[in-house]
Amino acid sequence: MKFIHDAVSILRKDILLEIRGKESLSLMLFLSLLFLVIFNFALDIDKENVSLLASGILWVIFSFTGILGMGRTSMSERDEEAYLSVVFSPVSPESFYAGKVLSNLLFLLLMEAFTLIFFAILFDFEKIITLLPQLLPVLLLGTLGFALVGTLFSFLATASRYGEVLLPFLYLPVVVPVILGGVSSMDIILNGKPGGPGRWLQIMVVFDMLYLSLSLLLFRYIIED
Amino acid sequence: MKTNRIIIFLFLMLLILLPLDFFLIFKVAPTERVMGDVQRIFYLHISLAVSAFVALTSVFISSILFLWKKDLKWDTAASVSAEIGVLFATLVLVSGSMWARPIWNVWWTWDPRLLTVLILWFIYIGYFLLRGGIADRFRKAQYSAVIGIIGYVDIPVVRYATKWWKSIHPLLTKEGGGLDPVMKKVMFFSMATFLVLTVFLFLFRFRLARMEERLLILKKRMED
Repeated sequence: MKFIHDAVSILRKDILLEIRGKESLSLMLFLSLLFLVIFNFALDIDKENVSLLASGILWVIFSFTGILGMGRTSMSERDEEAYLSVVFSPVSPESFYAGKVLSNLLFLLLMEAFTLIFFAILFDFEKIITLLPQLLPVLLLGTLGFALVGTLFSFLATASRYGEVLLPFLYLPVVVPVILGGVSSMDIILNGKPGGPGRWLQIMVVFDMLYLSLSLLLFRYIIED
Repeated sequence: MKTNRIIIFLFLMLLILLPLDFFLIFKVAPTERVMGDVQRIFYLHISLAVSAFVALTSVFISSILFLWKKDLKWDTAASVSAEIGVLFATLVLVSGSMWARPIWNVWWTWDPRLLTVLILWFIYIGYFLLRGGIADRFRKAQYSAVIGIIGYVDIPVVRYATKWWKSIHPLLTKEGGGLDPVMKKVMFFSMATFLVLTVFLFLFRFRLARMEERLLILKKRMED
């Protein structure tokens, strides 16, 4: 019970910080909008190809925008060594980690919702909104995978002298299975390809469980030194 | 002193083993009927892959031991193994590419196995980037151990996820029945040679790294 209570307190702290500072979420939203514009030029998206390109574009935006957001939220902990006050409080490192994962998950999901809406508007692709109930498990599992690895690695990266710049180098190779699963299952759903997204969802479930347990074991070593 | 003797012994062994291995590969092993001489790259390619895998497993185990024992020598062991692992993985990619050009008619293809090795390569490059970015010795060890563990565990997941794209990589086990017995012997000899090379490189580099550390401590003491 204490574990959940502490994690929720951390989450509440981050939401409060976000409402007051508007640092990470607003940056993510602008970046994702910018990405949509750039992709429009780069790929010349029209009514014919939008359905085929959608899943790839969206997951690239989700992963890169996510890096920016998660780098920010752990930078805010590293600034003036704020995380030390958490380390010295009765909150366990594991519940601190869980709280940070929850806040990252929340911000990422908000960014994704925003991106999906603007994707539908800008490229006249309402199908992505009507298929949302089917896409939801894909988004949830994929984003959870991002948040689990991203939270852990952003704490590693921000401790180095390269700071957030290092995050993509550590994070992207490890989340390849999530990106692969996300792109493939979204593609299957949007284009009605045979087979269904089942086994891709399975891979994402395995990934999430694996990294949840590993991170809970290892996070302690990142903030206690 | 004991390690010193082992290093010298392994070095002398390699002086015989490596030329012999190349002699066996190029002169003794029969030429493959379909692929011709290019197939000889396999003996190096697979041996390098096995050695890279052994080195990266050593990173994983040393990382766990470091987090458990908090002894910096395990961190040195992990980073030295990672150096060897990255070196060999790079050579695996290069040798595979050299083989693929005449046989598959491309330098690179997005095959699951190739992709897995490439991702693995990226993960361990990240490992060294992180190490380069942290000055504090203990923190560096602690953080890179986390990457050493997470990166290694990721490999089977990446492998599994990429497998659903149709693989064109040749599978030795499936063709194992038809493999020429001489080829098989040369293959095992080559693998053994490269494993000896891996152990030699590890011990040699490990001793060097420990000396560097000792030197740093001495320098610091003299400054104080």
